Amino acid sequence: MNGTKDALKTLRRGFLSGAGALTAAGWIGGAASGWLLRPGWAHAAGPIKMGIATDITGAIAPSGNADWQVAQFTVEQINKEGGILGRPIELYLEDTASDPKIAVGNVRRLIQERRVDVVLGGITSAMRQAIKDPIVNRGRTLYIYPQLYEGQECTKNLFCTGPTPAQQCDKLIPYLIKTVGKKRFAMPSANYVWPQLLNKYARKVIEANGGEVVFEEYYPLDQPEYSATISKIKDGKVDCVFNTVIPPGLQPFMKQLFESGFQKNGGVLTCVYFDENTLNYLPAPEMEGLYSCLDYFQAVDDPFGKKLQEAYSKRFPGTKYLFTAGAAATGMYRGIKFYEVAVKETKGDLHRDAVAAAMDHAVIENGPGGGAAMVPGHMHCRMNMYTALCRINNEKPYYEVVDKADMVDPREC
Amino acid sequence: MLKIRKPLASCRRTFRALLAVELLVLAVLVVTPFLLQDRLDLITLATNIMILSIFGISFDMCWGFSGIMSFGQALFFGVSGYVVALIGRDLNFSAIWGVLPLAMLTGLILAFVLAVFLLLGRKMPGAIFVALGTLTGSYAAERLVSGWQYVGAGNGLSSIKLLQLGSFEFVEGFEFYTLALLSLLIVYLVCRFIVRSQFGLVLAGMRENEERLAFLGYRVQVFKALTFSFAGMAAGLSGALYSYHQGFIGPGNMGPGLSTTAVLYCLLGGTGTLIGPVIGTAAIELLSYGLSDIDAIRQFWPVVLGLVLLLIVMFQPAGLLGLVVSNRERIGSFGASARHSAHG
Repeated sequence: MNGTKDALKTLRRGFLSGAGALTAAGWIGGAASGWLLRPGWAHAAGPIKMGIATDITGAIAPSGNADWQVAQFTVEQINKEGGILGRPIELYLEDTASDPKIAVGNVRRLIQERRVDVVLGGITSAMRQAIKDPIVNRGRTLYIYPQLYEGQECTKNLFCTGPTPAQQCDKLIPYLIKTVGKKRFAMPSANYVWPQLLNKYARKVIEANGGEVVFEEYYPLDQPEYSATISKIKDGKVDCVFNTVIPPGLQPFMKQLFESGFQKNGGVLTCVYFDENTLNYLPAPEMEGLYSCLDYFQAVDDPFGKKLQEAYSKRFPGTKYLFTAGAAATGMYRGIKFYEVAVKETKGDLHRDAVAAAMDHAVIENGPGGGAAMVPGHMHCRMNMYTALCRINNEKPYYEVVDKADMVDPREC
Repeated sequence: MLKIRKPLASCRRTFRALLAVELLVLAVLVVTPFLLQDRLDLITLATNIMILSIFGISFDMCWGFSGIMSFGQALFFGVSGYVVALIGRDLNFSAIWGVLPLAMLTGLILAFVLAVFLLLGRKMPGAIFVALGTLTGSYAAERLVSGWQYVGAGNGLSSIKLLQLGSFEFVEGFEFYTLALLSLLIVYLVCRFIVRSQFGLVLAGMRENEERLAFLGYRVQVFKALTFSFAGMAAGLSGALYSYHQGFIGPGNMGPGLSTTAVLYCLLGGTGTLIGPVIGTAAIELLSYGLSDIDAIRQFWPVVLGLVLLLIVMFQPAGLLGLVVSNRERIGSFGASARHSAHG
């Protein structure tokens, strides 16, 4: 490091000239692709190349952009403190466009053109499934997946840094049954893999704690009408709705549930993917009394997390892409930090097997919501989990952390 | 008896632009891997373009040569892609001599079944009926697959077993490029032979004036069904290659979105030329690849593409190829060769 600690520059490469040559000649271009975040200094061994593959456009662009900003923020922090063993991190972005079909092509550019040392990203399970093969198997590159998900991803050299069903259910459900006193659960769900596997696990925990699942149902993602579901909730005397309906079906479901008076009559709604982003997504009255369980809330009383949030808001003033758990941003932060720890242990050896071996038992001291530790041989990490209750103040919803569990086991693989 | 071989003077004199374009494209495809030796990403892109070209050609056989507006080509593409992926997953089998013919057979049978419903009914179906029928098939398949857990539902199938030749496994790169090039070449030559044969002459007549041909005693619908099935077979091959090459196949790969893409490849390149779809595919895929990192344009790229196509349909219906190949050569080549053989 030679003291050029100035802020990193975001460079756009390529541009029209490059793209034009590419299309005209068919094989000349190629300089034009992706975003590049280049550090302000160099190292003899060259930079460590980190690829981010996330959804910058398309349906889940808000989460993807949050992930990208957090990646930039975290890498800038690492580089400012001298990089990893003096080597700066160079960051490459490819847009997965919320479309696995496009993503499998784009992610290859990180592997084949950029030859990155590690890829982080993917938000939905469909995306992870699509891009893991080009990265891990064909591309022989380390892959870190940052989002809360349904579990059962046990591919070698693929590390998951978001919460698993066990982490989201093991504390929340006993809390709902024993402390809040709810017994009869309903599971309205969107019909895709995350709700199905999450519900399977949640049902076990509910039954083990003396609760009962009244019904478990799956709807098309865009279903606008839930009166049949609502009447089942009423008739079944359900007192806790464990919801995994997602947008765009979410808004009508929440509205109809609220209007049926479920909450007014003492019913409790829980929704484990709800974070600060979803606070303003729905009308405040519908949010009141909702429980969520994640690895981090901004309300968590933790000096490190508070400092992190402050620095993040300073780096991206007034941004609408928040540093939250539900958007996979906390998982992204942890993933990059785990990688940093692992590379320090290998003494700068970037070969996949060496880094993966070090990742296997990597520990990070601090992070949003606290530290985290990889469970050796399981490719998932222990982390603190928080149960939060949504309250309303001046018609503005906010989360209050009501329960905390230290270093919850992911129970995967 | 003396019979003098008298080729048409006009045929000999005119510059054979179509042939020149075909040879040029072939030459480019042959030298590309040697020029791009250390750019694996671009070889991957070029391989993908050739695989999708086969898909484009399959649509050209339908619309460009026999007047079937097939909005469901992706159905055959996607189903074959899923079939080979499932065989790899559940039977652990991916030997090239088994899976590629199977994929073609899948496309063929599926297209034939659809043709029986859409084309071989008692009443002669209109173009709109066929277009909507194929579109519906494609749409229904996409919805069905996205809710079916056994085939991965919305997640699709990934980590597809690599295509094998003996113990050799095809990953992206030079070998897969060669395989795609050979497949494209074979499909292309077979299609070229078909459309320039007597069978192709019937297709051309059908496209120009279906009723008149029917009055002449041709069972037009049977010709259509045969072409449609053949095109399904080509799309099936393309889907299987795509599936192995990308290592991923999802519901989006059999829906109306991809079906429409085939239409775009064809219209942009030039319908009824076979080489047109290859050029159209290359143009669209290269542009998308080049533009995907320029934010300002990426957002509007589909709109731009749509406008370009609208303009092409309005002012240049013969596509990019129409700029160098005259209409006379495009359509008349059948006539010339037919008369040619009659004289010979």
